[in-house]
Amino acid sequence: MSVQPDGHRAANRFAADDSDVIVVIGSGAGGGTLANELCQKGAKVVLLEAGQHYQPEDFINDEWASLNQLAWLDARTTSGSWRIAEEFPNLPAWTCKAVGGTTVHWAGCCPRFKEWEFRIRSEHGPTKGANLLDWPIGLSDLEPYYDKAEDRLGVTRTNGIPAPPSNNNFKVMGNGARRVGYTGVSTGRMAFNTVPRDGRPATIQDGFNYQGDKQRAHWSTLTTEIPAAEKTGRLDLRPESMVIRVEHDDSGQVTGVVYVDGRGNEQRQKARLVCVACNAIETARLLLSSASPLFPDGLANSSGQVGRNYMRHVTGAVFATFDMPVRMYRGETMAGIVTDESRNDPGRGFVGGYYMQLHSLGPSFLATFLSPRAWGRDFAQIMEQYDHMAGLWLVGEDMPQENNRVTLNRDVHDQFGQPVPNVHVDDHRNDTAMREHAYAAGESVYGAVDAMRTFRVSPYPTSHNLGTARMSARPEDGVVNEFGRAHDVPNLFVSDGSVMTSSAAANPTLTIVALALRQADYIEQQLKAGAL
Amino acid sequence: MATITAAARTMYPHDALPDDVYARVAERLAGAAREDSGAARTIEDGVSALNGGGPFAELPGDEQLATLKAIEGSDFFELVRSTAVVEVYSDLRTWRLVGYEGPSFDKGGYITRGFNDLDWLPDPEAAS
Repeated sequence: MSVQPDGHRAANRFAADDSDVIVVIGSGAGGGTLANELCQKGAKVVLLEAGQHYQPEDFINDEWASLNQLAWLDARTTSGSWRIAEEFPNLPAWTCKAVGGTTVHWAGCCPRFKEWEFRIRSEHGPTKGANLLDWPIGLSDLEPYYDKAEDRLGVTRTNGIPAPPSNNNFKVMGNGARRVGYTGVSTGRMAFNTVPRDGRPATIQDGFNYQGDKQRAHWSTLTTEIPAAEKTGRLDLRPESMVIRVEHDDSGQVTGVVYVDGRGNEQRQKARLVCVACNAIETARLLLSSASPLFPDGLANSSGQVGRNYMRHVTGAVFATFDMPVRMYRGETMAGIVTDESRNDPGRGFVGGYYMQLHSLGPSFLATFLSPRAWGRDFAQIMEQYDHMAGLWLVGEDMPQENNRVTLNRDVHDQFGQPVPNVHVDDHRNDTAMREHAYAAGESVYGAVDAMRTFRVSPYPTSHNLGTARMSARPEDGVVNEFGRAHDVPNLFVSDGSVMTSSAAANPTLTIVALALRQADYIEQQLKAGAL
Repeated sequence: MATITAAARTMYPHDALPDDVYARVAERLAGAAREDSGAARTIEDGVSALNGGGPFAELPGDEQLATLKAIEGSDFFELVRSTAVVEVYSDLRTWRLVGYEGPSFDKGGYITRGFNDLDWLPDPEAAS
């Protein structure tokens, strides 16, 4: 590793035909963490990232300008009855295309899955229209890795890290929730520093999360895992490298990947094993795009489950106006949670649970999302109440359905000439019932602190994408085993939220990191045993 | 130019904002027209239609509203509206009007500038 005149270390470069390297595709919560773990354990890792390598000082604290900088805006299409297909037909999800992946723009909410959320088939029973399956692992398998992940991420309220202070927006939601009778009301377990830790400063409450964290108070793979991996001298990070195919030999073992580099040239990298962590839409797309005579329906897809069971959580938001100022935009965006509804109580008319989490948007996003396509004087007057507005987000378990799926749309091609992913979603009856309940609960929270007016905001593109390469005990039920290893291809791993067999109500990043840490231990052990 | 500016104001009417804010929409669409002949035609045809009953920008407010309502949902309307909602609400003057302070990193964040200054409710964390 050499140091360039500008002080940046030149990237390590492993040879394209070095078949000893591990290729990790995607540098977000799953891929970035896994790459670092493997480097720490002595492996040589080529980390391929489709996006550019920005630094926190490059981030733009302006919603639309930032979206254009960081979001994955490559062509995508949508279908199905979900409102996204009508309102945001080419933006099914709001993920990042940058080194660090979607950890670059996350707010940091870190609930763990609950024990029953791993075994939804057993808990909920057969559910019409849903494709429920228990995970092959349970909470006890993941607990040691949750502990490790919380320490790694610096999650508040764990490892002696102080709780976040109440901000203005939380004072409204928190008081409303307590008056309604909720007890699980707090500023939450959050992956941003409340005190300096791990070489990163405490938050200055600058109010920007979804636009990238200039202050570096939030954990992201960009500012933690990837620099740590680089220090080992065993990481070869290649930004602007869009993988378009995973290749295999006649025996069905993966041999490497083909990607398009920043100059538009096709490159080939050999690999001992390949770990796919491109976020659930692109992970499924890549496996499907890698179809071959040996794997005619897509790589690792003998079950037919690749791309299916796409989950994005039941979501929605409630905003409310008050006669007194709130200024919800000041401070950490999501530092507040109400956990009471995150239980399974079918008596409410649906199975599974949901959280209420603090949420705010700036005027430019709020105007777009509050009531899509609304205009006129009434709307403008609502916007003039902006500094008197509070907001919360609803996030709950959604039902995996076979036909909610990512497929290749061969009628539309991206800048690399590849078929784009189509995302099809129909709401399940359970999803709709939960959302209605959650809206009413959110309204009652704000009603309890004398809201003047409340607004139900329909789901907009979110960052949670799960389930398209799910774990299963039996190969016919899913794509990967309990360690994320493909049932069909022994040296292929999936290392992101695609492997989640259920969505639970929890924001997925903490669980993705815990699974990546567990997978890294497994890969190390398999390598040592000569089994890979 | 004046037609689109007036249409944008009718869509997102904030009386305290100067025309310059709404003129951003016309400028943005002029740029789109230069880059895309399809958009250029949509805009040209749409503007002509709005001016069919006399210059749109000079119509009384209720007639402007009725004229826009009549074309709501058309490609032209949606192009103007989707551009307007971004441009108008990304403008610093609009932010000031609605009470949004925007980027704070260079000012040290809000940690000493009121992130928790709401005083009409108690601190719910303290109550727990």
